[in-house]
Formats: sequence, C-alpha cells, structure tokens
Amino acid sequence: MNGRVLNFRLAGINNQNFLMRDRETGTWWQQVTGKAVSGPLIGASLDLVSTDELTFGLWKSESPGGQVLAPVARDAKEYDSDWEPKVAKMKVVVSFPENGMKDRDVVMGVESGTASRAYPLDSILKQSPIQDRVGGTPVLLVTGPDGKSVRAFVSELNGKELEFFKPTQSANWGLIDSAGSEWNFRGCAISGSMVGKCLEPIAVLKDYWFDWRNYHPDTTVYRH
Amino acid sequence: MFALGVFLACVLAGVGLFFIPAFIIRPFRYQAPRSLGLAMSIAQHSPWWTLAAAAAALLLTLFLWRGSLLWQRVVLALGMVLVAGAATMARIDYFEWMFHPVASPGFTAASDSNLGDSEMVMAVRFGSENRAYPIREMAYHHVVNDSVAGTPIVVTY
Repeated sequence: MNGRVLNFRLAGINNQNFLMRDRETGTWWQQVTGKAVSGPLIGASLDLVSTDELTFGLWKSESPGGQVLAPVARDAKEYDSDWEPKVAKMKVVVSFPENGMKDRDVVMGVESGTASRAYPLDSILKQSPIQDRVGGTPVLLVTGPDGKSVRAFVSELNGKELEFFKPTQSANWGLIDSAGSEWNFRGCAISGSMVGKCLEPIAVLKDYWFDWRNYHPDTTVYRH
Repeated sequence: MFALGVFLACVLAGVGLFFIPAFIIRPFRYQAPRSLGLAMSIAQHSPWWTLAAAAAALLLTLFLWRGSLLWQRVVLALGMVLVAGAATMARIDYFEWMFHPVASPGFTAASDSNLGDSEMVMAVRFGSENRAYPIREMAYHHVVNDSVAGTPIVVTY
C-alpha cells in the first residue's frame, strides 16, 4: 500500500469471514473484500491478484516448472483435504434464504461493473459451458478437464460475441465455437480462424451463498 | 481504601479493554457493523491502554502492599494477575493459536511434490513464475505472506 509492504496476520472474524491485520499499521482488513475496515488505512483496498482454483494435476500440466507451497511440518497433521463437508454443516450467523438458495450452497460469484451474479457450482458442473450476461457483459463459465475447476471469460472478441458448445461426439473435454474452432481451458483458440487468440478472463469468487450475498446485496442468481 | 478502589478501577479498565473486543469478535456469533467497529477501535488502542492500566495497578500495589491486610493483599495479587493477563493478551493474535501462521513460506518444485493430482490449489502467475497454494494448507493457515517475482502478495482463504 503506497509503496509499503504489509505483512498480514489472522486477527479475528466478522460474520464467518475472517479479519486480518497488517503488522505495519495495525489496520484491520476484511478477507473477502480486501478492504481496510478500521485503523490508519481505513477505506484502502488491496489489489486483487488474479487467481485460479484448480486441481494440482491440471495446474501442473498448464504450468510446468511451477512451485507449490510446502507443508509446514508441525502443522501438517492439521491439514484436511476433506474439510468441505465438515464446514458445510456449520451454522451461519447471517442468513439469506432467498432466490431458492440455502446459506451454505457453494456459488461462483462474478462481478462486472456494478453488477454481480451468483452461479451455483452444481449448475456449472452440470451445464458447462454456460453462457450468460452479468450487467450486460457476455460471460462464459466453463468447467475444466479435471471436472472440478471453473473459469469465467468474457465471451467476446473484437466486439463480436461468440457462442460456445461442448463437442457432442467426443467423450473428452472440449470447447468449440459456432464456427467449429476449438478452444482450450485457458480460453484460447487452438484451431480455426482465431487460433492463438484468447478470451479475457473474469475473476470468479468461490464462496458460500450467505457470504457472497452478504457482500453483494444486489446480486442476482443464475437459476436454470 | 480509596486507593484500593482506584486499583480495582484500573484492573476493571484493563480487563474490559481486552474483553470487550474479544467478546464481540467471536466465531459463530453475529457481528453488527457498529459493535464490530467499536471492537476494532478498542483493539487498536488496547495494547497501550491495558499496559498503562497494568502499570498504574502495579504502582498502586507496590504503594499499598506494606500497609495492607491479608484480604487486601489477596485482592491486589489477583487483580495484578488479571490486569497483567489482559495487557499480555491485548498484544497477542490469539486467533493464530487455532490456525498457526506460516512464518516463512517454503516451496517445492511441482515435479517433486507429493500432493495428489486431484487436490485443489490456488494458483497465481507473475511473469514466468507460477505458484500454487494447496487449498488443504490454506484452509488451515488462512493467511500466507509471500512475494512472487518481486511482487508482495498475501494469499488468503
């Protein structure tokens, strides 16, 4: 922030989303928004780094030569790959039973301009590829070859909207556009007239409905 | 007796300055915006104020000890333990007792890692540097301070 590196510590919790503090100024920051909510830097926003949540296997194939965070030896016994079903049973302290949603439904949240939209993860996994609009921006949501990761892209190139489909004859993962060009999970065309061109990725936030809705009161929900 | 009253007020203030934010900022409890704001403001200043309360209480204890009766000494001793405890706790990130921080993140080359292929990771790319943070680790540590290709980042889950 302002040329100064901040080091963050876990400091507390606010309605099931954690708060952190930086050691340099003691400012409190909300995890899900990256905004400073109290203290000397109140009102500041940390820049969101574009991240991907995907399987290790898929990440390795896309990014060979990468580095993985090593386990911390004394804490390794606390790591639990099975945490999701356990947390799914935990109670919530803010609740938004609207739009047919349950508080701990997992959604992929997408923002475009001032509009926000929640896509139930189950729907994406079943219906991929999904084409939709968020605040007027045409978006494509697609599940990866690992069957678990989700990416979102602006489905528009050179001012023209593109339409995407799963190829019907192949059992493998695939993505083709209406001209028959093939695209990969990075949103880049690997055959056809647009080969080498890539769609612009859009950040998705994987979150529980109650938390997404808590921070996006005007969100719409994809219900198909 | 008046001095003892002042001593108790210092203890109460010190303990309150630690406990009020700790009580409000609890997991599985609803935080209303205003009380959360109050809790964070108090917590901002409590390290120094609790220390001041503990220091004042200590001075009073030293001043009063000689002339005190047994029960008064018990009050002084217990009060000191409480206010010193509050002054200590006000300086500790006790949420980290539950979720240990990563003091200094270490990395393994992807090809050397034992992580299963179906494990989920959070991945970033800066220039030609690719880094992945396994969700099973991030779901425990919650916060990792790192620097990738010279860019300081904080990874949170």
